[in-house]
Amino acid sequence: MTAAQIFAVIIFVAMFIMIVMDKIERHYVTLGSGILTLTVVFGICLHDGKAIWNTLALKGFATKDFWYQVTESESKGINWATILFIAGMMVMVEGMAKAGFFRWLCMKIAYLVKCKTIPIFITFMIMSAVLSMFIDSITVIMFLAAVTIELAQLLKFNPVPMILAEIFCANLGGSATMCGDPPNIIVGTSLGFSFFDFLTNTGLVAGISLVVSVIFFYFVFRKELVSGHGSNVDMSKFPKPSEAITNKTDFAISSVIFGIAVILLITHAVTHLTVATIGLFIAAITLITSGKHALELLKKVDYKTLVFFIGLFIVVGGLEETGILELIADFIEKISGGNVMLMIAIILWVSAIASAFVDNIPFAATMVPVIQSLAETSGLSLNTLAWALSIGTDIGGSATPIGASANVVGTSVAAKNGHPIGWGKYCKKLAPATIIVLAISNVYIIVRYL
Amino acid sequence: MSQFIISVGREFGSAGRAIAEELAKRFDIPIYDRHLITEIAAKTGLTPEEVEKYNEAPKLKILSRRVNGYSNSIEDNIAEMQFEFLDEKAKSGESFVVVGRCAETKLRKYPSLISLFILGDMEEKIKRVMKIYELSEEDAKSFIAKKDKKRKRYHNYHCSGHWGDSRLYDLSINSSRLGIDETINMLEQYIKARISK
Repeated sequence: MTAAQIFAVIIFVAMFIMIVMDKIERHYVTLGSGILTLTVVFGICLHDGKAIWNTLALKGFATKDFWYQVTESESKGINWATILFIAGMMVMVEGMAKAGFFRWLCMKIAYLVKCKTIPIFITFMIMSAVLSMFIDSITVIMFLAAVTIELAQLLKFNPVPMILAEIFCANLGGSATMCGDPPNIIVGTSLGFSFFDFLTNTGLVAGISLVVSVIFFYFVFRKELVSGHGSNVDMSKFPKPSEAITNKTDFAISSVIFGIAVILLITHAVTHLTVATIGLFIAAITLITSGKHALELLKKVDYKTLVFFIGLFIVVGGLEETGILELIADFIEKISGGNVMLMIAIILWVSAIASAFVDNIPFAATMVPVIQSLAETSGLSLNTLAWALSIGTDIGGSATPIGASANVVGTSVAAKNGHPIGWGKYCKKLAPATIIVLAISNVYIIVRYL
Repeated sequence: MSQFIISVGREFGSAGRAIAEELAKRFDIPIYDRHLITEIAAKTGLTPEEVEKYNEAPKLKILSRRVNGYSNSIEDNIAEMQFEFLDEKAKSGESFVVVGRCAETKLRKYPSLISLFILGDMEEKIKRVMKIYELSEEDAKSFIAKKDKKRKRYHNYHCSGHWGDSRLYDLSINSSRLGIDETINMLEQYIKARISK
């Protein structure tokens, strides 16, 4: 191993350990590690100014492909498209939350099913999955869990099973689209996939898995969910959905912007607008229409997450430029003995197990160049490997309370309202569901692509 | 000073809790220690035993994660609920004594806070723990070490300052020097002087 490779690995491993230790905020960790990669690995060890420039990827902004892409292309270094898109969606989501959109939607659905526990349970699972296809799962669970607890108090049922099922479905829904979960945005923008590519590949298996999951959770949780009120629910005591709307004009505008975002994402393979353009456009119209509240929305954007991504991409760029990721790809090929089924299974299950315990974003960012290299050397389709990676990282995160952001937010909201969910309670129900969905996905990939 | 909040940090076996209880009695104000557990239990619907299990306990970092201020750790959530509860009490203008719970840091913004830290000589602490818990000398020593380690980890995780560092408190006192009663008398005088200022 060269000095550059050794330092790239040390920085990466130290970064991962520090993220897990949670002593220093994770965006400082990745940014510090990124700066170390640029100075030590690229500067001192490699004396390679070009590698620094390539990793910073700033010239991408000036290319037409970054904004309007007719042919698929792959990106290296800092994935600015991912960062711009996430920033844009953050602005939009802040606007929607401020107008009361999410609370209104939850209450509306509860009303439509006449506030009956089991129908709420089923519709909230589906809503969690559908919303997570377009919106970050943290926001989805934050609102859904809060409303679930409110309804549980009114209807006298245990909210824990419902929150657990919502968390699982949010992660499942996120796997269905390119913008549903950060690993998918990274995979999609790095390898040049469209929203539609995800929907017709990971989306299909997510749909099948959702049906299975709803049935699974129904049988697992139905006894715990039996309402104390039975079938006679006095709906007059419930807060009206319209009470959730803070401002009718803002509500209408944010709903229209959300609709535009969904249409732009679904059609971006036809319009050739990249996710970076869509993110910027959505942010711009949200800010323009919010008038004097624009600054307030901008201040609420989670800049820490954006900085986290920038640092992360630089560190992964260090591993990529020094050839470490090729070594990992060679290792995977060697242990699978060239057996494609085994190779797919390794990518899917190793991604899932890793994502159950560590942040799936750094993992996915690291694995993208690995599967690129693996596809080149093994002859296996890059697309197939990409779907296995996406599904593995997205679904694997559901298995433990720390595997994905939605899990942390959901269990935290529950605990703060007197329903602590420990590892045992969480894993007892969601780990088997995760294994079932991963098994379905494994069979799906083999049947469809091999 | 119409409101006064007395926070008592303590080493295990230093009689910190007994001192806090006596101070609460002398000033005729409520004490939040075990009572805090019942209050949290009543507020959340948890059983006191469940709250006790996670009370002043440091979380296992490898099994927990924090996202945008949310944490999956039950210990973290119980701790935050206690901090919020104390903050609400302080904001309401109530005078009270609080034992532990990082109160010297969490309530620092209130000018009415009088923060104390009670420590003790190891021999005295061992004697006290042996008597109260009916333990051998060796067991008492390791019990003290275990309890103090837990308190230190809990405190240092939730606060930027270090547990027991005299700079965090208005007054740090070794209860073994004057004995428990004399220490209480001295602290009473100090608190009265602070209140009258």
